[in-house]
Amino acid sequence: MGLSSAATTTTPSDLLKFCIFDLRRGQHEGEELEKILFFFPADLPFPAQLSVIGLSEGLITFTRIFSPEAACEVIEADMHSHVFFEAEPDIWMVMVVAKSKETEAIWRIEALRSVLKEIHSLFVMFHGSIRVLLDKEPGGGLTRSHLFTFIMDYLTDFLTGNKFTLPNFRDSLKERGTVQMLTVGREAAIEVQSLVGVLDSCMANTLGYSVILFQDLLVSTTLTPDDTTNLFSYGTLRLTPRILSSGGTSTWSYLRKGNVPSQAELASRSANTLSALDGFRDPSSDNYRIVRPLQHGKWSKGKDGFLVTDIWGVEVGNLVPTTPTLWLQQTEHKMYLCVYQHKSLTIILLIPVTSMLNGEEGISMLKQQLLENASAKIFKVEEKLAKGWGGENAYHVKGYRYLLVDGDRNISRASPPGKVTTLAKESLLALNKVREDFDLEKNRGNVDAVNHEKDLEICIRAKNNAWVIARSTRGKQLYILLEKANETLLYASEAVEKFSDRYCNGAFSLD
Amino acid sequence: MSRNTSSSGGSGALSHAYIQYPPLKCKNDGSRGLFYDDGNKLLISSTSNQVVSWKISPFTSDVVSTTDTISEGPVLSIRYSLDTKLIAVQRSNNEVQFWVKETGETFSQKSKSESDTILGFFWTDCAVCDIVFVKTSGLDLYSYVPELKTLDLVDTKKTNVSWYIYTHESRLVLLASGMQCKSFTGYQLSSAGIIRLPRFEMGMAKSDVNSKPVLAAEDVHIVTVYGRIYCLQVDRVAMLLHSYRFYRDAVIQQGSLPVYSNKIAVSVVDNVLLIHQVDAKVIILYDIFADSRTPVSAPLPLLIRGLPRGSISSSQSSKKDAEASETTLLNDTSANLYADDWNFLVPDLVCDVATGFLWKIHLDLEAISASSSEVPSVLEFLQRRKLEAKKAKNLCLDLIRSIIIERRPLPIIFRAINVLVTSFAYSLKTGSYSKAGKSEKPPVSGVPENNSGTATKPDTSGKSVKTEPSGSGSFSTSDSEDNSNFKKAKTKFLEGENLTPSESQPLNVSEQQESQVTSAAISPDELYSYVFASVEEEMVADSSYLFAIIVEFIRSANMEKIKVHPNIYVLAVRLLGRNERYAELGQFVLNKIIEPSKEVALELLETGSHNIETKKLGLDMLRQLSLHHDYVVLLVQDGCYLEALRYARKHKVNTVRPSLFLEASYASNDPQHLAAVLRFFRDFIPGFATTSEHSTYIRALADMPSSITV
Repeated sequence: MGLSSAATTTTPSDLLKFCIFDLRRGQHEGEELEKILFFFPADLPFPAQLSVIGLSEGLITFTRIFSPEAACEVIEADMHSHVFFEAEPDIWMVMVVAKSKETEAIWRIEALRSVLKEIHSLFVMFHGSIRVLLDKEPGGGLTRSHLFTFIMDYLTDFLTGNKFTLPNFRDSLKERGTVQMLTVGREAAIEVQSLVGVLDSCMANTLGYSVILFQDLLVSTTLTPDDTTNLFSYGTLRLTPRILSSGGTSTWSYLRKGNVPSQAELASRSANTLSALDGFRDPSSDNYRIVRPLQHGKWSKGKDGFLVTDIWGVEVGNLVPTTPTLWLQQTEHKMYLCVYQHKSLTIILLIPVTSMLNGEEGISMLKQQLLENASAKIFKVEEKLAKGWGGENAYHVKGYRYLLVDGDRNISRASPPGKVTTLAKESLLALNKVREDFDLEKNRGNVDAVNHEKDLEICIRAKNNAWVIARSTRGKQLYILLEKANETLLYASEAVEKFSDRYCNGAFSLD
Repeated sequence: MSRNTSSSGGSGALSHAYIQYPPLKCKNDGSRGLFYDDGNKLLISSTSNQVVSWKISPFTSDVVSTTDTISEGPVLSIRYSLDTKLIAVQRSNNEVQFWVKETGETFSQKSKSESDTILGFFWTDCAVCDIVFVKTSGLDLYSYVPELKTLDLVDTKKTNVSWYIYTHESRLVLLASGMQCKSFTGYQLSSAGIIRLPRFEMGMAKSDVNSKPVLAAEDVHIVTVYGRIYCLQVDRVAMLLHSYRFYRDAVIQQGSLPVYSNKIAVSVVDNVLLIHQVDAKVIILYDIFADSRTPVSAPLPLLIRGLPRGSISSSQSSKKDAEASETTLLNDTSANLYADDWNFLVPDLVCDVATGFLWKIHLDLEAISASSSEVPSVLEFLQRRKLEAKKAKNLCLDLIRSIIIERRPLPIIFRAINVLVTSFAYSLKTGSYSKAGKSEKPPVSGVPENNSGTATKPDTSGKSVKTEPSGSGSFSTSDSEDNSNFKKAKTKFLEGENLTPSESQPLNVSEQQESQVTSAAISPDELYSYVFASVEEEMVADSSYLFAIIVEFIRSANMEKIKVHPNIYVLAVRLLGRNERYAELGQFVLNKIIEPSKEVALELLETGSHNIETKKLGLDMLRQLSLHHDYVVLLVQDGCYLEALRYARKHKVNTVRPSLFLEASYASNDPQHLAAVLRFFRDFIPGFATTSEHSTYIRALADMPSSITV
């Protein structure tokens, strides 16, 4: 299995290969290139691209014999890991990452897969499903250019210096694809809900949705959990005040502090990476325009407090930017995206395109209405939340490094990044390992009994005498790292109990 | 009092105030004059040697008069002492004569000099004196010495007096002096002591430079509303009604109201100011609670209600001539509202001197509330009504219910809800919302203000007047019983108590409680049962509208720190569940906007039958509320036997029978489960191994396919 990987030379691009292909296409000899929808690095010769895809396709076909529902998930070769994700029926995303001696390249497969998942769901949110795009335009040119620009824009966020830094073991106390919530007191929560009510009434009979963020944290949403997650990801990537004030550099702010490339460097990097893009686009620019929602530095705050961008183009004649649109995952409704920002508060409104008969005009009327009816309330809520917010380290729990995931609600909370960096490498590696085992066990559990969530617990003592504890109960997971702790297991388990009682309403204290 | 107005739904009539037939007839033969003793609420008619008095509070038309005999002589004015043991009759400009009712003894008090004219006198419950003579030279304060049957001069207040006005409800005497009689000195003689108000001038417009209009006593009115004392002064030239408010240390002009008549009369009904434009025969209502000078409603005439029809009156008249004449008199009355003989008595009475009829003026709350579309302000108005609190309350409930059903814009409903909640919170604070049935409550005694502590002081001494009707200005605010009620009400509604749901109040307020409604304030429970619960069915198609209202209600209640009944949360859960807004429901529960309670938990479980996350919320809530039994039973229902057993053991839940677990695990058809359950009971329940249950299930286990040994 390691054959193909071993054969390639170790260029920097070899560290990461990433492809998307459609099993329904290019089934005849000579048409193999048809199936490639995306390949990174794009400059890899087609034969090399095809060999990666061919291997993957072969494995998928083979494993489907035994498990038609969930085929291949991962191949661990000597020097590479292949991570599979079936984004849509017969449309596969495969990421090939090189294993290297340097320990920074120790990944958790699920963490990599969650990157794939995130790319896909964000793509679908802005462009619709890949299958639908392909059906609309069987040639695939449009789909390819959409995917290429989109994913390249996405990947710039992982650029550090010259190379991509994928989520590795240092990110073990993070869970991609979940939402981080702001914890608010009852009174503030009521104020927020009252604001949501006002927003609803501003959107009157359009059946719109609202999402409210404070800093990089979710405060309220009326969307389904999946759509909330996607919009939250996009919001924290491109819309929050921190990102706007940093001039458009995405930092994965909450997740990625510390190793952010300078803005100029990043810009040049993206320019280089995307230079191929221009050639890609030019010949067909008459036929379709590529919208790049993840392009950096394109959002800015207007005078009226609404965020504006020209990503979606500019109305001919009056230079007014076109209002962005996106798709809801569940209902597949096309929505206008309106973002209002006041200090740390970001309010995202989604309005069904179909209910806005007079398009842009209706949107600007709605904005006017929002300014008239809701601003007072927005100011009040912002003030209240700002007063109650404990700052970046608000959710730090002394002595603990933790990650709490509520799988049902797609919510996670973790020790602040600044506190995680104080951990020893050994501890994080141990945690990474425990999480890997846990993922495996969980997946197995899901196959065994669909409706019955198993309670799980793993508790180990790492080489550096840190305790790594993972518990899972009724859809919730808790990972705790205790360094400099007492050596008895009793101590560790009591510490978890205490944490659970204090911060999780005793959800993990079942005994 | 409210019974007078009960049946006639007068909203159809174009009138906001009415007088109710039959009036109190206080005419007797040989009457020489009618006097109003407002200290004792008596209407007094004097003949040459008799004093006939009618108690006019509580006001009924069939009150029996009492008669006292005095010696013959001229009568300028009569007042009973506040304990009604003495009768004081002013015989002349310098003599007041006294009768001791028990013994018939008499004595008199004369002014020292002929020139020192007695303008009038009044009895007082002031701590230092019993009776006050108002003379042109000032006030003489006397105390009565029963043993000696004399008056003892306690104090004099020297000032020139042209005329004076006094009302017992304000305990305030205003003394007019000066050429134009527009310069005033005031004393408040309350049980707390005597307060001298700073001297002040009333403003009067001049028709031309040289004219000096003289202010007449009938143009000045002392008015008590919401426990505050105002003075209203008619400026006939400017056609304005100036108002002044009295504070302990200041008199502050409050602005002016327009008048449309040369003759103005003022009544106060239930703290609402009625300005009678006598010439125009209309009334304008003002509610000056918030210093607003906007009339409550347009000027409308006074109405007589319940007047007997022609046929009835004729049949009556055939019986008695007297009745016949009365009927004609009545017909005259209806034709001659605001006749010249009408005398307006403080605070809400009208006496027709010509016929001897005494009428009480009432407000038609229905008509007032129907006449305005500004629902929130109508609600505010109704919430302040005390006299017909029950009616006001029902009107409020009807109003809020109907605006919800009419789907009025949310901001209006939010304001309406806020009005009701704020008013309820206020009534809790002042203690007027108590179900223990204190029937008497003083009017709201003034909002806290800077130079407050006003002229009105609480009557703390035991030397209080006989029970006075509500709205009469007895300022007693504290007796121990009230306080305990207040505390009760407080613990019931303020946050932070640990009422388990089963102990909390039943929703439907019983008849008995309703009959004792003393405040129009509406508790959250009532709002739920009469409004939210009852509109729920009609709002099925529009649950998000209703939900928004409930959120606003929870918000208002939270701001006022009022506890909300779990049923409201249950309704909120149901509404969200109906719209499948499960994610939001989660936020509401996790943020504790929907407060945990057993009812809510059960509703979550119910809603959770369509949504697993919601069900988990319900389960978690049960666990957090330590409702162990329910939690364990639910776990068993879900097939989580082992967790249920572990939990039961940890929290010592003994109420769940072993057979429940055994049956459930047996029904699951999984020998491992059954074996584990059996093993658990064998280990932790002593003697379980010898029970018949044990052997039954051991056998059952053995019969199961692929059995394992325990």
